[in-house]
Amino acid sequence: MKHLTLGAAALLATGGMAVAQDEVNLQLQWVTQSQFAGYYAALENGYYDEENLAVNIIPGGPDIAPPQVLAGGGADVMLNWMPSALAARENGLPVVNIAQPFVRSGLMLTCWADSGITEPADLAGHTVAHWFFGNEYPFLSWMSQLGIGVEGGDDGVTLLQAGFNVDPLLQRQADCMSTMTYNEYWQVIDAGVTPEELVTFRYEDFGVSTLEDGIWALEENLDDPEFVDRMARFVRASMRGWAWAAENPDEAAMIVLDYDETGAQTEEHQLRMMGEVALLVAGGDGRLDEAAYQRTVDTLLAGGSDPVISAAPEGAFTHVITDAALAE
Amino acid sequence: MSALTLRPNWAWPGVLICVVAVVWALDWRLAIIAAVWLIAWGINAILARNGTPGARILVPLIFGLTLLTLWEMAVRLYEVSPVILPAPTAIAVAFATNTATLWADFVQTILRGALPGYALGCGAAVLTALAIDRSRFLQKGLLPVGNFIAALPIVGTAPILVMWYGFGPSSKIAVVVAMVFFPMLVNAVQGLKESSAMQRDLMHTYAANYWQTLFKLRLPTALPFLFNGLKICSTLALIGAIVAEFFGSPTVGMGFRIKIEVGRLAMDMVWAEITVAALAGSGLYGLMALAERWLTFWHPSQRRG
Repeated sequence: MKHLTLGAAALLATGGMAVAQDEVNLQLQWVTQSQFAGYYAALENGYYDEENLAVNIIPGGPDIAPPQVLAGGGADVMLNWMPSALAARENGLPVVNIAQPFVRSGLMLTCWADSGITEPADLAGHTVAHWFFGNEYPFLSWMSQLGIGVEGGDDGVTLLQAGFNVDPLLQRQADCMSTMTYNEYWQVIDAGVTPEELVTFRYEDFGVSTLEDGIWALEENLDDPEFVDRMARFVRASMRGWAWAAENPDEAAMIVLDYDETGAQTEEHQLRMMGEVALLVAGGDGRLDEAAYQRTVDTLLAGGSDPVISAAPEGAFTHVITDAALAE
Repeated sequence: MSALTLRPNWAWPGVLICVVAVVWALDWRLAIIAAVWLIAWGINAILARNGTPGARILVPLIFGLTLLTLWEMAVRLYEVSPVILPAPTAIAVAFATNTATLWADFVQTILRGALPGYALGCGAAVLTALAIDRSRFLQKGLLPVGNFIAALPIVGTAPILVMWYGFGPSSKIAVVVAMVFFPMLVNAVQGLKESSAMQRDLMHTYAANYWQTLFKLRLPTALPFLFNGLKICSTLALIGAIVAEFFGSPTVGMGFRIKIEVGRLAMDMVWAEITVAALAGSGLYGLMALAERWLTFWHPSQRRG
């Protein structure tokens, strides 16, 4: 019966008739940029319309915590890094991963080569600038796995809370800085630094990567079959958007630029970002890889005296949505 | 006590019970909250009207406790998510279990950032005011520049100052100085104009030189304005030091903590920091108000009795 009504709705939508569409408010992890190209592509190409969805994409920013927007009812669904979402879950906000478009992590540490750092163990005694606001968890658990403190001194890392730009590295206030393969790394390069002057450590290469940019919803909503159906359609259309964006990176980047209301993004940067982001989503169909989930949880639990989460989460993900989305 | 004053005392509870009953029909949780509020209000009204000894302390105390109780009840009865608004008891627990962290943040932000910046900024403003007072050239030229600096938004200047002065307290001091300098300067310049021409003439006839006139006449008459500036700047200094930490800081400090704990959804800790900030702000303001009362006892606004 559900399929029947769904099919009828899709027919109506493609017929160009005005139908009451189901609303979905999506809270992004960060400002409008190619990191979210799949969603903008799905919106622009009408994939959401075809699923009878009216999707409202809400950009984030430096002072927006997506879990809080979700808790406050400002969004139905959010994009969030798994460390931050699991920490929120442990802090009393039961969020559930319903799909995982990003299969690889784009997080890395970028250091000046002349600082004498050749491997992560050399970080002791150096200064590292990092963003906080929930983004610091992967770094903190990596350091505690390496046995390096973050309280400064000769055997520890001196940690600085950086704003969301790469100035601390460029000005050498820090020897290393946290960067994303698709964003900040290129800001350093654009500032006139050559790749040879830098040493980079990708979390993926060291087995400490954690999942990024998953789709999360509130647990209580998942009891509602209507919500589950709506999310299945949302995930299906979003994954179509991602597949299209990965195949047409240049067009996808241009769509993102069109949707950037701030006008802050440049064409060159977005094209490059889209190329890098395509590598992170490649091979995924939205279904959460449980091995990657387990690695994330293990990394977060291995935080020594100060783990990000204190117990392995129960029910923090579900395949119900992706199974329904992929069934078609 | 006449019947006239008695009647409202007896009529009001009846009206209130009716109100609570009506609200109960709509939403029992709201009715309970309303009942507690009305009872506390009634107690305060009776205390205030009868002039009970100690009412001056009791009334605000009951008022504050009522607010906290209502907050706690609202959060519990409506099951508000702790991510949105934690209960006062949860904040108290966070405060009590994190005193070491809160103290380290207090030292970093208030003692190393806000207070030195406050002293430097206000001190420099008073010295500048003296220079402006002596020179017509500065009066025409410097005040507009000061105005300009005061109009700069902190979110614009803070990242730049962090870049210039590093992540430590010096950049926070710089932000605070930039924030407090102008309000203090305006007050100091105005204060120095307070002594009348007659008073200055009198000093002249005493053969007092510039410095004697300054210390014995002009600065004392300027005090109400100076304290006005100091009180305004006491809160500005705290805001400046805390907000500046949002744009770059070591991993300690009140602004840093507020920012990361928001990201971690530990709102009880954020509120604990807000409590520290409120206490520190009230303390500094109270200190200034006390000093003002002590030093400007002669001013009409401070005379008592």
